[in-house]
This record gives sequence, structure tokens and C-alpha cells, in this order.
Amino acid sequence: MSAQALERIPLDPPEPPSSGRSVRRVRFGRWGLRSVAILYLGLMVALPLAAIVSKGFGGGVASLRDAFSQPGARQALALTIEMAALVALINAVFGTVIAYVLTRYRFVGRRLVSTVVDVPFAIPTLVTGVMLVALYGPNSAVGGFLVRHGVHVIFARLGILVALLFVTLPLVVRTVQPVLLEMDRAEEEAARVLGAGRLATLRKVLLPHLRSGIVAGGLLAFARALGEFGAVVIVSGNILNRTLTAPVLIAQLITGFKPEEAAAIGAILFGLSFGLVLIVERLVGRRERESHA
Amino acid sequence: MKLIGRKAWLAFTVLALAGAACGGSGSASALKSGGKCVPQKTPVITLAAYSTVYDVYGKLTSAFQDQWKTDHDGQSVIFQSSFGGSTTQAQNVANGFPADVVALSLAPDVEIVQKAGLITHDWTKDPDGAIVATTPVVFDVRPGNPKHIADWSDLTKAGVQILTPDPSQSGGAKWNIVAAYGASIRGKVTGYAASSSSDAQNLLTGIFNDVTVMDKSANDSLKNFQSGNGDVAISYENQVLTGAAGGKGDVEVLPPSTVLIQTPTVVVDKNAAAHCVLPIAKAFVQFLHTPDAQSIFASVGNFRPIDPAEAVKANADLKQPALQDVFTTDDIGGWDQLIDSTVFGPNGAFTQALKATKG
Amino acid sequence: MMPSQASAPAPTEAVRRPLLSETTSRRLVHGGLTATALLYVGVLVVAPLVGIAVAAAKPGWSAWSATFADPDARHAYLLTGVITVETIAVTAVLGVVVALVLARDRFAGRSLVSAVVNLPLAVSPVIVGLAAVLLFGRGGWFEHWFTAHGIQIIFALPSMVLVTVFICIPFVIREVAPLLEELGIEEEEAARTLGASPFQTFLRVTLPNIRWGLLYGVALSTARALGEVGAVLIVSGTIAGHTETATLYVLRAFDEGKDASGYVVAVTLALVSILLLAGIEIFKRKEEKLVSP
Repeated sequence: MSAQALERIPLDPPEPPSSGRSVRRVRFGRWGLRSVAILYLGLMVALPLAAIVSKGFGGGVASLRDAFSQPGARQALALTIEMAALVALINAVFGTVIAYVLTRYRFVGRRLVSTVVDVPFAIPTLVTGVMLVALYGPNSAVGGFLVRHGVHVIFARLGILVALLFVTLPLVVRTVQPVLLEMDRAEEEAARVLGAGRLATLRKVLLPHLRSGIVAGGLLAFARALGEFGAVVIVSGNILNRTLTAPVLIAQLITGFKPEEAAAIGAILFGLSFGLVLIVERLVGRRERESHA
Repeated sequence: MKLIGRKAWLAFTVLALAGAACGGSGSASALKSGGKCVPQKTPVITLAAYSTVYDVYGKLTSAFQDQWKTDHDGQSVIFQSSFGGSTTQAQNVANGFPADVVALSLAPDVEIVQKAGLITHDWTKDPDGAIVATTPVVFDVRPGNPKHIADWSDLTKAGVQILTPDPSQSGGAKWNIVAAYGASIRGKVTGYAASSSSDAQNLLTGIFNDVTVMDKSANDSLKNFQSGNGDVAISYENQVLTGAAGGKGDVEVLPPSTVLIQTPTVVVDKNAAAHCVLPIAKAFVQFLHTPDAQSIFASVGNFRPIDPAEAVKANADLKQPALQDVFTTDDIGGWDQLIDSTVFGPNGAFTQALKATKG
Repeated sequence: MMPSQASAPAPTEAVRRPLLSETTSRRLVHGGLTATALLYVGVLVVAPLVGIAVAAAKPGWSAWSATFADPDARHAYLLTGVITVETIAVTAVLGVVVALVLARDRFAGRSLVSAVVNLPLAVSPVIVGLAAVLLFGRGGWFEHWFTAHGIQIIFALPSMVLVTVFICIPFVIREVAPLLEELGIEEEEAARTLGASPFQTFLRVTLPNIRWGLLYGVALSTARALGEVGAVLIVSGTIAGHTETATLYVLRAFDEGKDASGYVVAVTLALVSILLLAGIEIFKRKEEKLVSP
């Protein structure tokens, strides 16, 4: 999966054919397809969105207040946002380094590393959590060692961090990589010829070009980390006010027959995610226009 | 293009309906709102149980299924079980979870279901008072008991990290608190005077100062402890023994004075009747009191016998030590008093203790 | 670090020698970055994979055979298979339809539509499950209609397929739509002028052209469907032996302290996903070759 694909959803489709007889037929067909697409969008997206927002915000500000008065809700949202931001930052840095290394350097096993980077895309998130328990749980060599030295990964925030870093890594790498690939190296070479050092080239030439890619990747990672359930639910222990994240809390509320409270917190989480998607669209759209200019 | 549009639409509709048809046939759809229920050829019993008894009830339901098959011309009964914090489960049932039988960890949680109008018979008059198993509250410590925990007062020592669940969600949590309270009130804890509710409150304050986290169920609390957090978990004895037998490193420490947890299992009349399974549900609950079922409670669940006089005895096979001073909730005033005033009431020992630790 | 200067020294000044030669410092940076990248990927991704392999092998063959003998486990695998197949069928068809409309049609608000198409990727699966319950569950908007017709949506297969389709469809659309746009309509126009019907054109011209992108999207969909846990947990009621998927089985196994069975099923899921990953990589490469030969 690449953010390349995200970019390539076109804003200007080609002109439809306009020769005589086929026009009427095409118009019918177009509406046939369009109705399916509209049905899909309506059923699959508009409707659920409306349901959540109306249930969650139906009572107005009062229902928001109720949502926050739910024990653990405020802490869960705070923890979720905090973890997601941290993860986005860390992976923005390391993901860029990895993308750079994979794109610019040649070394033995490069293909393998590239495939390994994609592993989190394929592995079920729950299995990610299970892997972390296997590695860092008290019964393993590594886990036992860490626990004895006071480092708790399982049933602690560190576990949440590691799980989220795992699942969001390929998002950043695969968003930055295409930008690196497309980059015209002429500017960099010119800078070096003119005497700029490596650090200066990095700051003044490379990073500005990569910036939108890194930010987009970071935002995607942030959005993904906000909503992560499977990897977190097994590793964190879901301890109220400690390691309980918003998605897990929502799941608990819904399966505990508290749909209004779930919807209120869910609407907030949904709003955040949707906002992020819109921002990324704008960023990517702007970069498209810039590169086509 | 026109054909594609129509075909895709048709395909989607067909798939959706097919999916719906497939799904509709396989679920527990004997429930009809209002009107008479429809008996199913393969009846389904839905069980809502507290968090730590998945293994035991797995065996119990399967033993019951075998017995029912033999006695009823090969009729199969299906059990759908859900496990969670006892109080949370009771609230779920009150909020609409369609349980036919509730296996909860304390009587007040059954009352939650009763107050919702779902239990219409006087269940306290059921055989054995509806109690199906007992187990004392104990301490779960690390191998070698490095913090030398022996009594309730040891839990108040500085630097001891305690795990116990959240009483608003877990039945086990309430048992733990009542055990500490009762031991203190009975004057069995050194340094805390008998019949002194302020001393009992001080004990609870000291303990909860050391509680690092309150998980949402007894099961979660135990797993938290097993994952390496905390120095001691206050828990059900049967859970500690199961963990120890499973090589999880749990070690039981029996306090000199503790409460005997008595867990009730009751038929939810309204739901069972609506699902047309009332006779089967009743038969299942009755089965739980038979010697066969009781031996499953013991061997699989590490529970003690229902009769308190038997429960105090040691059982070498199950590694259950003899109980020293053990009491039931009736001995310290009964659940109503404990919940409404002495322990969990607005001025109760625990309510005040929690306020003191938070402040 | 002193930037190495390439400027010529003034004739009377002593030559200011940089600390390290250009090549050495380049090699250091090269090596340092590569080592960082490899270490990060190793600790974050490879170590847990090794961890779970060890944890699954430790209990030995008896744990494996016991788990596979468990009827609940077998049913869980079957259910996961059924849901995945049904999901692929729907997403492949519907995904291509929506992609066609996105790529070939012109209408207002296309970037909003694009954001909406990408939405399921950014939104938490828990939110998806929540929306399904709000629409089809007790007190839901559509509950009456379905109960009146005796159709069970929530706590049964239909809702599980529905939420999985919602979550997986973007994978297909995001691969096929850009591909359709890049491929252009010349070939299809040519086919139509030669007298082919729209359906024939689609079958003989469009479909073969988007083949690799479609397969790539379907492979990603499959991996995602296999691993879905958050949404399915909420809508299924997790009734063991009825609505418990493989992932839900793993969740319950760990909850009940039956770690060995949990590891077994988790490892099988991981293995299938890694096989899929191989397929994903192959399809991706074939698609990229098509677009930029």
C-alpha cells in the first residue's frame, strides 16, 4: 500500500467520448455506475457517520459532558492522543531514515529489509500484540530480564508505544519513499558543488523537499495510532486511567450496553480521524499541484 | 456501461441478502418480543458468569450437555457463555444482555438482576441458598514471599504494591474489601481493635494507599499480577491455586482471618421463559448442586465445598490449607448492611478509606 | 561535526585539513544511518517475530494438536475463511465500480469523495463496529425492518461481513482508481468504436489492464480481513463456536489464560499473512512495472 496511490486519485479525469449514438448509452451507463457509487458512499459512509454523530452529539453539549464524565474517558482520550503523537514523531524520524537508507543506499539484503518493513501491513494487529507479549512477557528471556530491572512493557504504557510504533512504521516509510524517489537530485548535487556541507544540504535542500511527505506520513501514522485496537488490547492490560485507550474504552462501553456513552467518545475520536484525513488530502493535493507546476 | 451498472447493483444486493440469509439461520433467534416463545429443536442457554470461572463452567456445561442428551432422547443443548466482572455482568443483564442463567460472585449482584425485574422467584430460598461453590479470600504473592506478607496488617507496610480489582465492576473486589473489614472487626488483626469501625477504616486506608491499580475484573487483576506487576494480589484462593497449577508462579498465603466467598448461580426467569428454555435452565442450576458437579468445581476450579463446616477443612490433593478464622458475610452483618452502611455506604469504612487515600 | 570544505586554500595560508576525509565521513554517515535503520527494524519488527516463533514452539506438538482438535478453534478458522471470501468478493466488485466512477467521471466535490473513500483506513475499526450497532442493533435505525423480516444482522454473520467490507474496500479502490486514470480511455474508446458493448469492453480491455492493481488491492484486502478484530468484536457478540473468528478466539484464549492455544492460532494467522505478503510484494512490483516501466 502506498501513499502514492493516495496521490494518484485524479482531480481531472479525461474527457468522455462525445460521438453521437453512444452518448445516450454512456449517460445511462454512467448513471448506473454512479448510482452504485452513491449507494456505496451513502450506505457505507454517510449513514454510519450520521448515526454516530446523532447518537453521540444528539443531546448537544450535555452529551459531550456525559461522555467526559464516564470514568476513565478523559484519561483514555488523553492517553490515546499522547501516545499517537509520540509515535508519529518517533516514526517520522526513524521512518525517514529507513526510507532514505532503502532508497539511496545499496547493500546486501536491501530487498529483504524492504519486505520486512511491510510486515506490519500484513500481520493482523492482534497477532502484533501477541508477539509483543511473547517477547516482553515475564515468561520470556527478554521479558523476564526487563521486569527484573523494573522495565514493564506488558500491561504498561511502554507496551502501547512499542505496539503502535510497529503498526505505523510502514505508513511513514512508504509515504516518504515515493517522494525521495521522485526527487530531482540535481538540486542536491548543485548544493554540494557550491560547497555546502552534508548537514547544510540536508537542512536546506533535502528536508524541505521531503517535508510534505514526512508530515503526511506522520499524520497518517498519528491517525492510525489514534484508532488502533487489536495491537493495544492484548499488550496494555486496559487498566482504567493507566493504560486504557479510547478505542478499547469504546469497545468496552458498547459491549457493556452503553451505546450513548460509546457514541459520544466515538464521535470525538471519529472527528479527529476525519479531520486528519482531510488535512493529509490537502497536503498531498498541494504537493501534486506543486510537482505538476 | 449500462449493463455494468445494473449488474454490479444486482450482485451487491444478492450478496447482501445471501449474507443475511446465512446469518439469520444460525443465531439464537427464538426470542420474540411479546407473544409466545417458540421451542427450538436445539435449545440455547445463555450464561453470564463472573470473570474467573471459564474453565469450570466449560466443564460443567459440557457435563450437563452429556447428561441431558442421555436423559432426553439425544437432544443437544447449546451453551453460550460470557465472562466478565460480576457487577458489570449483572448490569449488562439488567441492561438487556439476554442471559438465561447468571453465575455471579456475590448475592448483591444477583439482586441487581432481580431489581430489574428479571428474576421473579425468591432465589434466596433456592437449594443451598443458591450458593454453588465457596473459596476464601487469600493473598497471591511471588515465589519465596519476598515481602513477607502474612496478614492484613502487612499490606499496609510502605513499599508493598498491591493489586485488587475495582469494586464498582468486580464482585471479587468487594469480597476482598469485606475480608479485610471483617478480619479487623472481629479483632483478628494485630493492632486493630475488635468492633472498631474506625480501626477497620484505618486498615482499609493503609491497604488502599498501597494499591497501585484497580483492574476491572478479578481475572484482569490476576493477569496483571502474573504479568509481573505488583508484589501481592488479593484474590480468590481457587484462582491462585489454578495459576500455581498452571505454572504461572502464583503462591497462596492464607490470612489468619478471612471471609468465605460464597458464589450464587441463579436462573433468570424472565429471559429463560422468553427463550422457551426455563425447564432446561432450572435443570442446569439444579445439576450444579449434585455430587458430580461439585467434584468438577473442586477438581477443575479448585473450589471448596458449599457447606462452610466442610469448607474449613484442608484438602491435600487440591493443596487447600485448613482455614483458621473464617467468617461469612452473615457473620458480620449481612450484605445489605455491608453495602448500604458499614462498608460501602456513604459513611462506610471503604468509602471513607478511599476518600482518604485520594485526598 | 565540521563540514568538510572543498574550497581551495589561499596561497599563503596553511591548508586547513578537515578532521576526516570526504570519503571516510561519507562512509561513516552511510554506515551510521544504515546501522540505525537496521537496528530499528530489527528490534521493532524482527525481534517480535522471533519471539512468537519461540513461544509457539515451546509448548511442543501437543499444544498444537490440542488446539487443532478443539471444535471452537476449527469453527473459528472456518468462520474467518467464510468472512474473508465473502469480503473479497464484494470488495473486488464494488471496489472496481467505485474506482471506475472516481477515475472516469466528472462531478463536483471529488476531493471530498476521495477523502471519504480513504476514511475507513484512518478511522478506528471500533468506530466502524459502533456505527453498525447504532444502525442495526437494539434501538438502531434499521433494527425494526430487519427484525420484522426475521433477519439477524448484529450478533450474526451479516454484520461481520459488512464491517469487514467497509474496512477493506479502500484497499481496492486506492489501487484501481489511479491505475484507471493513468491507463487512460484510448483503448476502451477504440474498442467501442469497433463495436464492442460496454460490458465486453470492460471484460476484454479494462479488466486485463487493471489486473495487477486489482490483485494487489485484493491481496491487501485479504490480509486486512483475516486480521480484523476491533469491529468484529463489537458486532459479533463473540459467541464461541458461532460468531467467534480466529482473531476473537486468540483474544479469548489470552483472556482465559490459555496462552498456548492463543500462540498456536496467532502463529497460523501470522504465517498465512506472511504468505499473503509475498503475494502482495509480487503484485505490487508487477503493478509498478506497468505504470512506470
